[in-house]
Amino acid sequence: MSRLSRIIAVATLAAACAALCSAQDLRAPQSAIAGEETAISTTGSGKATFYLVGPGVSRKNDATLGEDVHLAAQDIRTAGYYVAILCSDTCHSAGFYVNAAKPTSLTFLVHPSRVPVAQSDAVSGVAFAFDQFHNLVLAPVNVNFQLTAKDKDKDKDKASPLFSRSVRTQNGVAWFRTPSGKSAGPLQVTAALDDVTARRAVQQVASEPCNLRITGQRTKTGILVQTEPVHDCAGNVLSDGTIVTFTATGPQGKDTVDAPIKQGVARAQMDSSGPAVISAASGVVMGNEIHVEAQR
Amino acid sequence: MMPPAPIRRTALLILLIGFFLFASTLNSLAADPSVQVQLDVKKAAPRAVETLTERGILRDYRFAWTSMAQALEFNTFDPLEGPFSGQARQFLRQTVTSQQQSGLRRRYADQSHHVEAVFYAPEGDVIELHDTAQYHLQILDGDKTIHEENAVAHYVILMTPGADRWTIRQLQAVPQF
Repeated sequence: MSRLSRIIAVATLAAACAALCSAQDLRAPQSAIAGEETAISTTGSGKATFYLVGPGVSRKNDATLGEDVHLAAQDIRTAGYYVAILCSDTCHSAGFYVNAAKPTSLTFLVHPSRVPVAQSDAVSGVAFAFDQFHNLVLAPVNVNFQLTAKDKDKDKDKASPLFSRSVRTQNGVAWFRTPSGKSAGPLQVTAALDDVTARRAVQQVASEPCNLRITGQRTKTGILVQTEPVHDCAGNVLSDGTIVTFTATGPQGKDTVDAPIKQGVARAQMDSSGPAVISAASGVVMGNEIHVEAQR
Repeated sequence: MMPPAPIRRTALLILLIGFFLFASTLNSLAADPSVQVQLDVKKAAPRAVETLTERGILRDYRFAWTSMAQALEFNTFDPLEGPFSGQARQFLRQTVTSQQQSGLRRRYADQSHHVEAVFYAPEGDVIELHDTAQYHLQILDGDKTIHEENAVAHYVILMTPGADRWTIRQLQAVPQF
């Protein structure tokens, strides 16, 4: 009986040893960088099937236990969670994360594309840093935002900075908000990160008209009314196309006509033979009133 | 005047068929109710998330996960077309192509997502979400399960508004937030 027990014990030990000696396992890297090759180490002996499952990849190939499985740069281009699986008799797996590589591009959203001058918190920008494989870079980096505009009072070709700020990304994003400048014209907005720069342009336009004044004279066919050059309160000429509404009030009733500003001046011909009081308005701004005598 | 009985029966039949077709279309468009999503927008800044926007994001985020699970389980591209755009759609299409070639599939079951909005752009044109997701993941080679786990995963998501829905542009798993 004792002899039989010894035989069984030895056989069990031998089987366990054999199982342990050929047991396959795998070890994944602690973490990896997108687009940088790495390896999965395996233990055991014999043949197995290796699988790599992750974002953008689903690979299956033969592997030799005890040897490293090479992961090419293109296998791990997308940042995220990967599972390496090794199957022979049974399957074993190990998970690992691939992190974004260093930033090589900025996605830069700027609003609005057209803005009136001297408005508070009117211009905003949001920048996301991405690596060359379009993975969002979540490690904090500094993004330098700068707004420059040509100063109408100074050298025409020289741009003066309106705003400059370095913002550290948080959760992969950096942003700013700032008032618009004082002069109409293009506003250059840049976001820079090391040698990566993204540029956007915002058109600054005149704000509401300031001191809207009109003149009028009777002609053979009616009354010709026009504004003096229309400026905002900072002295910027209002953009072409801005509408000025002229209203003539006389004994025959009220007559209204809209006229767009062209090169700073809005003009309109009004059909009225009697005496009339003419006024003008643009947006929320009212102009002066003029009295025109009846046609003789 | 009432129409004759055979015409009434035909009309009733057409109505019934129409109803069933309509109901099945609605069902295919609806998000999988087994995907549980909770969205917290209290920390969203610098712009606050309005209630209707919150509902839209919740609906479209849930639908995106339902669609992704379908695409990766059955290796089809169609479910990815609506809810994903940009980089997210590209890598998911690559994943499906790669799975078709290798004969692998992934099955996401019992999904539960705790989503927090951490950034909402001043003009409302992009939102960043952090999702702590729990699901049962199965990886299959043909019909053989080669890996399964109850996973707790963290995702960073960028969503942008489209004409009628929010789409996922970036979906990136990270070790932690």
